[in-house]
Amino acid sequence: MTAIPISEKRLLPPCRVACPARVNVQAYVSLIQRGKFREAVEVIRKDMPFPAICGRVCFSPCEDACARVNVDQAVAIRALKRLVADIEREQGRVTPEPIPKKYSEKVAIIGAGPAGLTAAYELAKLGYPVTVFERMSEPGGMMRYCLPNFRLEKFVVANEIAYIQDLGVEIKTGVEFGKDVTLESLKADGYKVFFIAIGTQKGMKLNVPGEDLEGVMNAVDFLRAVALGEHVTVGERVAVIGGGNTAIDAARTAKKLGAKEVMILYRRSREEMLALPHEVELAEKDGVKIYLLVAPKQIIGENGKVKAVECLRMRLGEPDESGRRRPVPISFSEHQYEVDMVIPALGQVAETESLPPEILSKDKRGPPLQVDPLTLETNVPGVFAGGDIATGPASIIEAVGAGKRAAVSIHLYLRGQDLQKGREEKVEETTWVKNWSFIKKKERRYEPPIEKPHLSFDEAAEYLERTKQKARFEAFRCLGCGPCAECLASMDLCEGDKAVVDENSCVGCNVCAVICPFEAIKKNEKGIAQVNEDLCKGCGLCAARCPEQAITMKKLTNEQILTLALATLRR
Amino acid sequence: MERNMPKIVCFMCNWTYCQEELHVPSNVNVVRVMCVGRIDPIIVLETFANGADGVMLVGCKPPDCHFVDGNLQAERAVKVLKKLMALTGLEPERLKLFWSSPLEEISFSYLAREFSEDIWKLGVSQLKWPESEVSENILAAKNAASDFRLRVLLGREEELTELMNAYGEKISQKEFDALLDDVVKAEFIRHKIHLLTKTKPLSVKALAEKLGIKPAAVLRHITNMRRKGMIALDRVEGTTPLYKALEVK
Repeated sequence: MTAIPISEKRLLPPCRVACPARVNVQAYVSLIQRGKFREAVEVIRKDMPFPAICGRVCFSPCEDACARVNVDQAVAIRALKRLVADIEREQGRVTPEPIPKKYSEKVAIIGAGPAGLTAAYELAKLGYPVTVFERMSEPGGMMRYCLPNFRLEKFVVANEIAYIQDLGVEIKTGVEFGKDVTLESLKADGYKVFFIAIGTQKGMKLNVPGEDLEGVMNAVDFLRAVALGEHVTVGERVAVIGGGNTAIDAARTAKKLGAKEVMILYRRSREEMLALPHEVELAEKDGVKIYLLVAPKQIIGENGKVKAVECLRMRLGEPDESGRRRPVPISFSEHQYEVDMVIPALGQVAETESLPPEILSKDKRGPPLQVDPLTLETNVPGVFAGGDIATGPASIIEAVGAGKRAAVSIHLYLRGQDLQKGREEKVEETTWVKNWSFIKKKERRYEPPIEKPHLSFDEAAEYLERTKQKARFEAFRCLGCGPCAECLASMDLCEGDKAVVDENSCVGCNVCAVICPFEAIKKNEKGIAQVNEDLCKGCGLCAARCPEQAITMKKLTNEQILTLALATLRR
Repeated sequence: MERNMPKIVCFMCNWTYCQEELHVPSNVNVVRVMCVGRIDPIIVLETFANGADGVMLVGCKPPDCHFVDGNLQAERAVKVLKKLMALTGLEPERLKLFWSSPLEEISFSYLAREFSEDIWKLGVSQLKWPESEVSENILAAKNAASDFRLRVLLGREEELTELMNAYGEKISQKEFDALLDDVVKAEFIRHKIHLLTKTKPLSVKALAEKLGIKPAAVLRHITNMRRKGMIALDRVEGTTPLYKALEVK
């Protein structure tokens, strides 16, 4: 249950290693295979509190790492996660019992974004009284105010946050850090530890002439205004500048708000775009035009209003420090796009004014806060910081990972233990597959619907049943690379069952080694079979085939199966 | 009517159906195992010996299996079991392997009812008849199924037919099936002889009569069994040697 650091080297499947929050992917995919959808959500919640949010907008490093790509395509991990979370929400989530407060030290978390909420969630599970302070009127941070409704519905965010609140986390909204509360005032209120996760809220400037003209609106401000339900006037022709997910979101939002023509101006080529390829495709489907290798030189105004953007053509030069090719302007290539609204979406920077000056880093060029990358400590004891504020704008799942790390650090700090010791994760990526050519090809069997179909009452039940079947069918594509995944399924049958060899009756015939699908049994130097318990998944195929019947299972032995089978016959 | 329903034991893979989805007829006892390949042939024979009228095995439809190819292992075991059952005189139809898949249209309860119906037509298992010869045969089959030779062959099928043996030879599926057939038959007869001679010493001729095979074949088996220490010469009556079973292990 707890996020106590992993001490010894563990074998994990590639998907779990790739995930910054170490979500137990193999376990919940296995549970989906069995049709245990609710249990699957529970397994996800063991590692992070946002199954539905990540099921929608995560950039899914797990799918990139999936070993199945060696055969055909990655397992649709994100889609499966979304499905189980949605089914749980729509069928009614069970309200969890508040977790009893085991400890008395109060923890203050500044910022109710993904990092802050995850830290609050993990600390509440450990038994700490946690209070989250949020400046805006609703918690959720960028998840609520930057991601448009068509990508991440507001009620989904609200539902996941409600779960965290159900566990006993207090969220105080409308409290601005640095104005309404400060470190000192919170300390006076009895808070012992602070976790600063305010994120990066300010959109970066274009730094070209004409930026102050009417009609120039930063993407973050634009999306936030839309999310808040403010009246936003969108121009007829809109230019969005940038190539990240925010740019795509802003462009699609502008299109949906009624702009006649929306264009994205990006200074590199399509390969360098940071936005998810899938999102770019959707934007193009919405009718957004994408102009590549152009960068704005100035914004031309008329009567104080935007009239056009003057751009320069670019070509790609040498790769820069981010590994992407640097755009180099081509001289005398100026050309104009006639627009009446410009939305710069060049990335975000932190608002450091509210932070106490002693924790800010001296180096003005790097991130505003210097934290220990492992423990997330700042140079002030008792103050931790993480998420976008420490790393620069990143993704939800990375923020969740930071929140988890912070929670462990805060727990160790409050218990007076060494923060550094044993924190280095010793994990090893593993897959049992040695020869990919033996694996049979199976194409993807489930894709999430782009739009939810409108169905009548009768159709809905059937649709759900069909979707569930497809999802289970898709889950069967998982190779189960890692060892037994410790899912909740283990509770009802296998309980982490392992094979045991009776060394006195083993004759070393090697049948078990041939039978074992995971190469968990090998003959040792004495010629006697030995079970590698790290790799054994407890299927019992060896126990069913051992010619000398020297192999038994720890839990479900042959005799037990027989007793179960004969139970009704004797009646 | 309900009382006369055939008693059926169903061994089911943990990963195929979900418990909640099961609507099981009352005469079917579902036993969940980790994989349908987990079922040892001995378990099935033992279940029959204890009075089951039918045994269902339910596994995931290939190529999907949580344990890579556990379902194919089950298929192999069923193949051998059916051969053994045919030898004992028990109808091989009483054992059936079902594949299930999340996309399957037919529900489990339907399959179970259909199978019950088939078993109903076959009638009560012969093993429940008083003084049935099959009871003894099933014991011999059980011993044969726990025999080293048969189990090694069963366990190594994939290795022998798809890869190669220790001498670098590859056996075709057809050759392997013929080999398996011989071994199953031979082991069954040997264990039957072993059982028959356990209580009192018997001659080759008497055994041949009981088993319904040629005396020469019986003698060949006995020679083999003597080498393995399963049987020994008890005494010679006139000119007829009588054989008696030895305790194995």
